[in-house]
Amino acid sequence: MSTKLAINLHKLARFTNTAIPILATIFFLAGRYISFYYHFLTVPLLGLLLVNLYYLFGQKNHSLLRNFGILGQGRYMLESLGPELRQYLFSGDTEERPFNRTERGEVYRKANNVDSAASFGSQNNFDATEIKLRHSLFPISRGDVEPYRMTFGEERGIQNAYTLTVPIIISGMSYGALGKRAVRSLARGIAQTGGLMNTGEGGYPKYHLMENCDLAFQIGTAKFGVRNRDGTLNDQLLAELAAKEQIKMIELKLSQGAKPGKGGMLPKEKITQEISELRGVPMGRDIVSPTHHAECQDYPSTIAFIRRIQEISQLPVGIKLCIGDPRQFFELVGEMKRQDAFPDFITIDGAEGGTGAAPKAFLDRVGMPLFPALKSANDILLAAGVRQRVKIIASGKLISPGSQIIAFCLGANAVATARGFMLSIGCIQALQCGSNTCPVGITTHDPDLERGINIPDKALRVANYIHSLEHDLDELLCSAGARTVSDLTFDHLYIPNESALYPFANHS
Amino acid sequence: MTIPKLKIISWITQIVAVVIMGQTLFFKFSAHPESVQLFSELGMEPKGRLLIGALELVACILLLIPSSIVYGALLGACLMAGAVIGHITELGWEGPRGELGMLAIVTLICCGITIVIRHRELPLLKAIHSDTPTERGRRKR
Repeated sequence: MSTKLAINLHKLARFTNTAIPILATIFFLAGRYISFYYHFLTVPLLGLLLVNLYYLFGQKNHSLLRNFGILGQGRYMLESLGPELRQYLFSGDTEERPFNRTERGEVYRKANNVDSAASFGSQNNFDATEIKLRHSLFPISRGDVEPYRMTFGEERGIQNAYTLTVPIIISGMSYGALGKRAVRSLARGIAQTGGLMNTGEGGYPKYHLMENCDLAFQIGTAKFGVRNRDGTLNDQLLAELAAKEQIKMIELKLSQGAKPGKGGMLPKEKITQEISELRGVPMGRDIVSPTHHAECQDYPSTIAFIRRIQEISQLPVGIKLCIGDPRQFFELVGEMKRQDAFPDFITIDGAEGGTGAAPKAFLDRVGMPLFPALKSANDILLAAGVRQRVKIIASGKLISPGSQIIAFCLGANAVATARGFMLSIGCIQALQCGSNTCPVGITTHDPDLERGINIPDKALRVANYIHSLEHDLDELLCSAGARTVSDLTFDHLYIPNESALYPFANHS
Repeated sequence: MTIPKLKIISWITQIVAVVIMGQTLFFKFSAHPESVQLFSELGMEPKGRLLIGALELVACILLLIPSSIVYGALLGACLMAGAVIGHITELGWEGPRGELGMLAIVTLICCGITIVIRHRELPLLKAIHSDTPTERGRRKR
């Protein structure tokens, strides 16, 4: 049998396993007859021998250690160092997932208000997969771009219509998913820009409310903060929350991109006393929300439920969903028309998943990616003639102006991102959001780790990030010759043939 | 995570080890005739006596600082293993020597228990004792 390595590791391991007891004996004899100091070597070797015997004959868990002994340990050591080594040293700038180093670097630079110009060409796989904006032969100047304004609830003519002036929304992240300092940094930063923040489904938004920013309150399938014992909506609690000055909109979460068709999850490591009180759940076990709202059994009941929330809250009310089958979305829109009841906005979530803990199968395999889903939803609403009644918010990996402008071209009225804002406050993509060990203190409740976050400094970064994004979006609008984002259309996009949008493109 | 009950046991064994090692430090550092005699027989007087005393002091301190307990136990166990070897090979077990030897064995056992309880805190071993398979029951319908 041949082995690819020049060294036969199994032989080497056998040699090591024999050498250890022999060496221990030699040093023992040396300690006995030459100098007692040799026992400084005898003792560690005896320890090594014991561990080795345990690996070879004691434990039954690891075949590798049973066969190779202490040398097999090397594999586990190297493997445990792998993620860090890859991230620091070996991964290329465009290799990592979900965000590669160039994408993260762009957010960091925007958050620090550093010039993000790069030289000598694009790092991306330029020809094959990247969607491009078709610029105009006659760009307009910055002064001609109209300030962004979008009013939710104007179609229904409600008193509490909310006008959004910043097209980039902080997507739903609850206190629970994030630590309190992270939540307050984001809230304070967005307050400085006049933008909107989504509270996530984490119950009463105690920390979101502290910084006086505009909020969209999210109702998840477990209805934390507004639930009855049996999991149905408590009208009274919702009315009380909706009456708060800062809460401008309500978002009913039907499904989320990380795990469509599965309830939200909060791992038990992250459930503190306070969180268990704010959400009304026990400590010490994972919280798994139901897969669907008790009120939403079919199309009519779902639309009726949306209308009910609109009546109770007297606020603009929208839904958030990740699209699985566009035909179902078509049916849903049909039902809206039948009942003449429309949500004020629909958040289309891409299936890519965010901070949320989700089973790997759901992260990787369930739901439509954002761009095709957004395009389908927009087309369905247009075809049904109700596009004007409903605003569309797009979310899912939209952390850079380049991807955001694509979403606007596909019909979004506003974009939302969660991870972009996490990166802006210092996320290093350590991928530990679910284990309460976030090294930069964002998704943890460990005070020693949260300590790293200085709220005023991080708030400034959030504001910088938004201002840079707005600046870049304006410049992209100029180059496309569009005065507002609503002037952008699908025809502004160049779709290469490896893109998921290719089937939608007009190839003539 | 270490189970709380085991943590209490670990603290008891740590303190026993610290007390036993700590009280011999006085004899070592003050060059007590008996201690000098012991180390002379081992051929380590005086440097070895002071070196071992210093290492024992370090072990005692590490055993009392929560984040370094397991390292203190490791060092303590090594030192005590050395002491036991000394008794076996050179010093013998007669009279008070036997008593000292027994104390060394008790400390060795205490350090050993501490290591076993806290083995998850050893950084290099972390990778291998993470997942022990448990039986997953079939889901009830």
